[in-house]
Amino acid sequence: MTATLTFGPSATSPGRGTFTALAARELRRFVLNPVFLSAAAFIVFTQSLGPGGETEIDGLSPYPAIFLGGFGMMATYWLTRSMRASEPVVGVTPVTRPVRTAALCTVALVPFACGCLTLLRFVQLTPVGGPIYGPFSSSAQVAILVGQIVMPALGGPLLGVALGRWVRFPGAAFVLFLLIYGWVSLVTILTMWHQNSALVAVLRLFAPFAFFSLHSDAGGVTAWRGSPWFFIGWQLALCAIAILVALLRGAEGRVRSRIIRALGIAGVAAVILLVLAGLGGFTHALTA
Amino acid sequence: MLIPMLRAGAWPAVAGLSGVAVVVGGCGAAFPAAATLLLPACFALLAAAAAFTLDEPASLVVDVTPTGPVRRTQLRAVALLAPLAAGALVLLAAALRGQALPWAAVSLALAGNILLGFAVACVVRTRIGEPGPVVGTAVVLVLMAPALVPHVARWVRTFPVSDPGGPSSDRLWWPLIAACAVAIAVSAGGLRRRAWPGSGTRRHRGLSY
Repeated sequence: MTATLTFGPSATSPGRGTFTALAARELRRFVLNPVFLSAAAFIVFTQSLGPGGETEIDGLSPYPAIFLGGFGMMATYWLTRSMRASEPVVGVTPVTRPVRTAALCTVALVPFACGCLTLLRFVQLTPVGGPIYGPFSSSAQVAILVGQIVMPALGGPLLGVALGRWVRFPGAAFVLFLLIYGWVSLVTILTMWHQNSALVAVLRLFAPFAFFSLHSDAGGVTAWRGSPWFFIGWQLALCAIAILVALLRGAEGRVRSRIIRALGIAGVAAVILLVLAGLGGFTHALTA
Repeated sequence: MLIPMLRAGAWPAVAGLSGVAVVVGGCGAAFPAAATLLLPACFALLAAAAAFTLDEPASLVVDVTPTGPVRRTQLRAVALLAPLAAGALVLLAAALRGQALPWAAVSLALAGNILLGFAVACVVRTRIGEPGPVVGTAVVLVLMAPALVPHVARWVRTFPVSDPGGPSSDRLWWPLIAACAVAIAVSAGGLRRRAWPGSGTRRHRGLSY
């Protein structure tokens, strides 16, 4: 009898099947969320319009970040918070909270896939190498598009899960959305004034989304300081931090100490990548 | 009656959102070039703060007390002074920094934003006890739509900008303020809360959205 209790964990510990079932359920809930559906519909609408008369990519690329990233963050925040009321019931099931959080994090794959599709459509409408990309090399142009379209679509929903796990205020998602919007607007305007400043470049890139160029009134596109490739690394580090912070809630024992250790490593990596992103690329603003 | 009603309000949410709005608006006041981007975000946050003024976690109990919805709404409307004062503070800071904004139109937009958040909360309050989270999010998204999507800004503006060819925000806010006044009057005075069969648990905190 003792042996049965000791070596019979299959009935009580969740395996891969449980996780898959949970992830599938969360995916279904996310895909049917009206906020995400409206965001996806708007992305389809903007991509169907085409580039129009835009003179720089920054006039077109923020939409996926706003709708797949920003709205995706709000959707996953509500998805995470919606389980709070049933926590006393769900909390006594064999599935631990970190496993449920991990299942929630998998829903970010949906907006990530949407972001990839949007990127393909974007490149089809606005081929790489065109004059609206400015003086960046072809690989840097691709990196800018990945950083502006695909990465926010992945990071936004992950941030929403972390926020939902830790913050009780029900309006936290839209407050954070507006704060990020305000910060990106502010540092972009600062960059217009101080185009060659390394500090301002780091401040501009200290965000989950950043602009890399500006269409000047005199004609041509001015490329700002900063390395688009290292910026993707910074964004990936932010995604890792969001996942780890979300998983930390409810983690106990060795799992908790491992998560904290991983958080430290991810934090250091994020700082290094941010500095490299700010100091890399062009050393001064360049117009082409 | 005033003190207990106000004490029961969602003050952390109202004060917190108003405080964040002051920070965002303060940046808009400090950096004139960013004012047309940050002041609309500030006003949207104040509208969200207004949406939280009617939140009542104990609505199942409060709604059956002799104090009617008109009186309750009147008392809770006093809390609108918080976002209004925060908005006035931001505009004062912008004026002291010497910003050249169309002050009458900006003040109208501030009043309109706050009234819109409150009016939608009044309407939704007839269905749920805590309309703040849902209404706050919806109002923010609607008010920020012209700033986020240039296609929308071609047709409607919620904040006055110096663009001679663009639509005027005044033409939006005057009729909208009138509509908000009607909506508040109707929802607070004319409509009785609809009794939904089996809706008791839906109105509980955490399950209302």
